[in-house]
Formats: sequence, C-alpha cells, structure tokens
Amino acid sequence: MGAKKIFTTPATPAGKPVTLNPKLARRTFLKIATAAAGLGGLAFSGRLVRKAQAKEAKIPYPGSKIVRTICTHCAVGCGVYAEVQNGVWVRQEIAQDHPISRGGHCCKGASAIDMVRSEKRLKYPLKREGGRWKRISWEQALDEVCSKLLEIREKYGPDAVHWNGSAKVSTEMAYLQRKLAAFWGTNNIDHQARI
Amino acid sequence: MTNSMNDIRHSKCIFMIGSNAAEAHPVAMQHILYAKEVNGAPLIVVDPRFTKLAAKATEYVRIRPGTDTAFLMGLINYIIQNDWHDKEFIRTRVAGFEEMRKVAAHYTPEVVEDITGVPKEQLARVAKLLATNRPGTVIWCMGITQHHIGSSNTRACCILQLVLGNMGVSGGGTNIFRGHDNVQGATDVCVLSHSLPAYYGLKEGSWKHWCKVWGVDYEWIKSRFHSKEYMHKKGFTLARWYEGVIQEDKITQYTPIRAVVFWGCASNSQSQYHKLKKALDKLDLVVIIDPFPTTTAAMCEKDNVYLLPSTSQYETEGSVTSSSRQAQWRYKVVDPIYEAKTDYEIMYEFVKRFGFADKFYKNIKQIPEDVTREIARGALTIGLCGWLPERIKKHTDNWHTFDIDTLQAKGGPCDGEYYGLPWPCWTETHPGTPILYDISKPVAKGGLPFRARFGTEYTYPDGRKENLLAAPGVANPGSEIKGGYPEFPGWKTDPNVIKEALRRGMAPFGNARARCYCWNFPDPVPIHREPLHSPRADLIKKYPTYPDKPDHYRVYTRFASEQKPELVKEYPLVLITGRMVEHMGGGAETRSNKYLAELAPEMYAEINVKVANDYGLREGDYVWIESPEGGRIKVKVKVTDRVDERTIFLPFHFGGFFMGRSYAANYPEGHQPYALGEPANIVTNYGYDIITQIQATKEGLCRLKKA
Repeated sequence: MGAKKIFTTPATPAGKPVTLNPKLARRTFLKIATAAAGLGGLAFSGRLVRKAQAKEAKIPYPGSKIVRTICTHCAVGCGVYAEVQNGVWVRQEIAQDHPISRGGHCCKGASAIDMVRSEKRLKYPLKREGGRWKRISWEQALDEVCSKLLEIREKYGPDAVHWNGSAKVSTEMAYLQRKLAAFWGTNNIDHQARI
Repeated sequence: MTNSMNDIRHSKCIFMIGSNAAEAHPVAMQHILYAKEVNGAPLIVVDPRFTKLAAKATEYVRIRPGTDTAFLMGLINYIIQNDWHDKEFIRTRVAGFEEMRKVAAHYTPEVVEDITGVPKEQLARVAKLLATNRPGTVIWCMGITQHHIGSSNTRACCILQLVLGNMGVSGGGTNIFRGHDNVQGATDVCVLSHSLPAYYGLKEGSWKHWCKVWGVDYEWIKSRFHSKEYMHKKGFTLARWYEGVIQEDKITQYTPIRAVVFWGCASNSQSQYHKLKKALDKLDLVVIIDPFPTTTAAMCEKDNVYLLPSTSQYETEGSVTSSSRQAQWRYKVVDPIYEAKTDYEIMYEFVKRFGFADKFYKNIKQIPEDVTREIARGALTIGLCGWLPERIKKHTDNWHTFDIDTLQAKGGPCDGEYYGLPWPCWTETHPGTPILYDISKPVAKGGLPFRARFGTEYTYPDGRKENLLAAPGVANPGSEIKGGYPEFPGWKTDPNVIKEALRRGMAPFGNARARCYCWNFPDPVPIHREPLHSPRADLIKKYPTYPDKPDHYRVYTRFASEQKPELVKEYPLVLITGRMVEHMGGGAETRSNKYLAELAPEMYAEINVKVANDYGLREGDYVWIESPEGGRIKVKVKVTDRVDERTIFLPFHFGGFFMGRSYAANYPEGHQPYALGEPANIVTNYGYDIITQIQATKEGLCRLKKA
C-alpha cells in the first residue's frame, strides 16, 4: 500500500489546484474585508477599502462554489460558508442556518479566511543551521528528522522522545497521533487538554 | 458538557464560575443571553476579575483566586441547612450524601467569607437564587481546573448540581465550555499520557482491546516498549515534559528526554516558560509541525530544530467534536497552499520511515474515513460506535434541518436525530444522546442513567453500607429492570453486548447512583486547600496542601514542601491569567492574522488603580512582573478596576519576547507574527493538580517593579 492510495482525498470543490493569484487575492480581500467589517467590528483603514453595497456582497463570484465547514478556533463549533473560485478561497459568509452558531461569529471566526491567506504561513520546510534558518526539501527534512528520532530511540530507548499532539487537528488525526505513540513504544504523548 | 450550548436556552438559572465565555466562547453567549432575557434566568458570574462576561451578570461574585471549592461547599451547605436540597433525587440517584453533608457543614457562611472574601449575605443570596430557579445550569472553564485542587473544584460543581437535582434534565447539567476547537475530540481519542483512546486506560486488557482493533499482535506492541512496566506507566504530560530534560525535579524514567515533537501545539501555553526554554536549549532535537512558525521556533537558539509546514485545517478534512459532544465534518475548502502537507500525509511519511506502515495502516485505505471507522470500532466506552463518516457528513450537509431548541432534526434525511449525534451514539441507528443521565427517554432514543462504574455496594469509613445502584422505580422508560442494575459484562469490548442492552431498554454501563464521596480520590469529598503560593499565610496551617507526590507522571511533584507561608512577604500580589476574544491559545495563528493582530496587537497587564498609584504607575507605563521561580516579564500597564487591589491579570496568548528581549529576529525571515509580546507563562508559578497535573496558573504570586 503506498502513499498515493491513502491520499486519494477528493479534490477541491472547484477541482483545481490552488494558485494564489495576487491580483485576484487583492480584489477578493477587499471584498471580504468590507463584507466582514460590520460583523466582526473589524477596523480597516479607509484608504484601502471602499464601502461594498449590500447587493454587491450577495453576488456570487462567477463559477464559484460554496463549501460548508467549521471554524477552527474554539469548541462552540460555529458553521462557516466558504466561497471558492478556481481553487481559491475568495470570500466567507456567516451560516445563518447553522443550529449552534445561527449566524454568529466572533472576530476570530469572521477572519477565518486569513488562516489560509496569511503571508506569515510557512512555505517550505526549514532547519536551523549555523544560527540561521535554511530552506530544505521535504525529502531531506523527513529523512533527517526520522533518522534522528530512530537514532535517539535506538540509543536511549523509546521514552527518550516526547510527543506533544494537538487539539487543533481532526479527531482522526488526533487518534493517529495517539496510535503513533503506541506503535513507537511510549506513553510520552500529551496535548492541550492536559492544561 | 452533559447538556449542550443550545440546551442552555431552557435554563432558569445560569451559574458560571471560572469562565469568561463572552471572550472565550462568544457565540455561545446568544444561548446564555436568550435564557437570561427570555426566561428571566439570573446570570451569576463567579470570578476574581470583573470580566466581559461579568458585565452581563445579574449577580457578580468577586472571589479570591483558588478558593472555589470553599465557596461551592458553602453554597451546598447553605442549601442543605435551609432544606432546599432535592430529597427525592438524592434518595434515588445519589450516593455518599451523608458523608458529603458532614464535610460541607464546616463551610458556614462565616467560614466561607473568611476564606473566599465573598460576603456571607451574598453567599446566602446566590444559594437562594439557585434553589428558587430550577433547573439551572452550572458552567465552568479553566478558572476552575487550573489549580492544585482543580479536580476537587470540578467535583464540587458536580455535587452542587446533584444536591439541587439539576442533573439529567433540560436546562440543567454540568457544562464545561472547552477551549480549542477539537479539544473534545482529541480528548476522546486520548492524546493523553495516561490512557489509550476512549478512556480505556493503560491496563493489559486495554492494550489487548486496541491491538485487536488495530489488527496487530499484542506481543509486537509490547516488544516496542522499553519494558512491560512502561506500557502501563503514565507518561510525561504537556504540563511538565520539560522536567524530563532539565530534571530540576527528580524524574522516574530510565532515560532523560532527548527529543520533542510539537505537532500542532504551542509551547508558550505551559507555565514556568523560562524553564521550558532551558529544555529547548538542551534537547538534541526539536521538531515543530505547524502552519505557522510558532513561538517555539523563535525560542530555539541551537541548531537542533526543524520546522515542517503542515496545512491549516481548511486544507484538509475530518470530523471535529464540539464542546457539546457533537461531531461535525470539517470539509476541505482549498488544496494545500505553498509546499504545506496535510497532517495525514506527514504522518504517513513518518510511519513509513519508522518501518511499520503496513501494520499502522492495516485497516486504513482511505483517509480520513477509514480512520473514523476504526475509531467507531474501538471506542465503545463512550459510544462512538454510531459515528460513521457518512452519518457525520449527512448531519453537516443538513445542518439547516435541525431545531435550535431541541437540536433534533425536523423531517429531512436526519429526521429525529440530534445534531452531530452527541455521544454516546451507541449504534449505527442511534440518534445521539443530547443530555447525559436523562432517565425520561428510552436509552435507544437518547436517554441514559448514571453509570455503574464502582461496584454495587460500598462501606464507608464509619461502617455505613450503601447500595450504589439506583433506587427501585428509577430507570429509563422501557427498561427491563425497573430500578438500578450493574453494567453488562463485556460491553466495553463487544458491540453486540451494547445492542443487546439497548434491545432490553437498558444502558450498557448499568444504572447507578452518582457519587458525592469518591473513595479513590485523595479527598473523597472536596475540601478547601490553600494555594501552594498563598497570599493568606494565616490559612495555610488550617487548610494545608497535600504531601509531595514522588512519581506524578514520571516526575517528583512538590506540594507541601513548596507551600511556604513567608513567600507572600516578598511576592505580595496574586497572579491570574486568561483569554482575549481576539486571540487563541499560544497565538501562533491569531497573531499572524492581520485582522486580529490589528485589533489586539499588544501584551499588557491589568493592574488595579490603587496598586498603580502605590507603585507610581500610569496607564501605558512599563513594569517588570517577577515570579518566585525567577521568571520576569516586561509589560505595559492597563490600569483598571476589573481586578481587585491584590490581583494582577495577564492574557496568555503572546510570544516572541523573552524576559525583556525581543526574539523577532529569531523567526524565519518574513514569518514573524504581526503581534509579539511577552508570554504570560514566564511568570506563572510552580503548582499542579494532584490528579490530572494541570498547571495551577490561576493562583500564583508575583511582585512588581517599575521598569
């Protein structure tokens, strides 16, 4: 069984790979910014934006699709409508018909889109070398990390590695983290629920 | 949560202690405010700080940090003294009431006022509000749990609800608002050092059960461990793993920790952060897997660190469990951006290189759906058997068909089911359990009694014997046995036993009484114990902490030897921490979000007007805050009456500064978050819960120095 077989996850609703077109991104940023301003109490510089008209905010992007998803911040579990065009998340909308959130969003939920669009996102694997961050390939990163972990396991035992898992991933992924520790041979695994 | 966010709409009284939902769970507020406005429910907020939630309260109770158990036991005592307790509920569904009552009797309004600082008249008023407005809900968060007696605090909340008869009813319950979006799901699958998924623990039978689910040989898994002993020994926790590296407290493990992997986890959320930083400098290897660089990356100064970019959760998919035990399918919005890989893919690459991919993915061909199915096959204890990926997706696809008051679908493809199939969802056709311990509905339709987990009879220290099963006549409609019954043998490992129990109208885990007296806890009935670092030196002798615990999750943990009455002379102020609405957790995501960073760009300390004047501080001045452990941070002052004259409040989301120095240049270039600041946890104190080892960040001491 190979990686390809496992990772046959469905393509994006638009069915195309993501290319962040800066022109498109900018235009849509302005649109979402104005749409969200009233909801989240977000403050925007007047220089950058013009006021969107209500009817304009309701016009779908040509060929776009709406995806139902769930906010990634707190455990209330608010619904989010994401508008996707050509594989790019162009706009988000509150979910008026969601049974828990009923159209409610806090400022974090209202800015969910920046989780994907933030320029601060890591772009490729990095390692620290000579006190500086150095770009490396995935292959090199995985090979080095895994061989070092195996070396430590061999030399000191499986409990010489501590795994801090996550309450920010899916239940399936969290389960795999726990399973990994078991297969690795340690109970040194924990996550944010402890604290 | 025993009930749900939506069910709070039915409450007649809302009691919130150690929760600031207005900032931490803002969207839940609509249900709370509905109950307040429409039902006229009093909203009682108990907190050391006048929070944004407190601003909505009908009754605000300012409590001294670390004295919640004393206040709760005081309420319980006052309710019993006035004969307001629910005698029928207690007679039929509660155990150990007499034993608990004797302990609670100590907490008279006068005693409680001395410990907590809450005027006795206010205690009486709150008790009366609770007694005369039923059913009421009790809600708490980390203000209750992050104490050395955090586990006692939570139990005192539960006992309060038992005494009021508020359990198993709509509008009642014990409702813990959880923090991270999937902390409930990650807890349920036990990314925890003391248990295998679904709270099975680490016993031999638990390992055998999960080996069977995974389809691997138990002997092979055993061979992966250092020894059988270490298979059953609880591991290090997130709160204290770094002691495994620096060993300032003695560790009970054959090797120190040499490598740490942070997989979607911040480090600046852990107390005594300056000690954690020492560990980062000492480790052979630090691996950070995250969409953002995180504070951890900036704090690493050695060539021992790797940063692997995982995608955000919007570029992958899977189920997430809300605080109300509901599963929702978080659909993928877009494909991974840049070179980021999904967590699933990184996991596969790791496992492949570790050489056990065939065994690890034996039942898993399609990700994540086959993982959901594997969990459903194994997690019988909490009834995840009915959480099949198709069902979870169907609920999310049809969220508009569910009623906001009952959470039940009205017609449509999910007709009659409860939104998100709140667990236990015992079978592929079970509708979910919207309210735990509700005996008004059949078990197959979402009803449930209290679990029979501790045998059928108990003899208390004074010789009194008590039947632990529910009284005759108390059972869910349609139950074959009209009264209490023990658990069904084999229900935790055989789904057919569960189906058999449901066919007979019964709960697989039995029908018992809820305990007020937990003989397996250090304090069978919750009692007040002064914080390790207490501002009330005079109370330490009367309410001392526990003896030290030599092997607490593999590390010596100080209690009595850490409780020094003279400490307050040098560190006169009480330190508490909490959330801001604009940020989340360690802030790696939100401080890198341009909108949120603009809204809340700066770290600050809330300081009372009198303290500010005494120290000669004005709004915006910088101040050093110092902890007894040697941590110090330089932060801006916010002068406010939200905190009292003895308390300092710090938000805990910041990072990128360390003891006065900026580490901005230590981030990968161009990836510094928009907002940087001192982590509050550099000055949070030593102190851990006696059972869970949660860090006691809501009851420390500190001192101020003008910067």
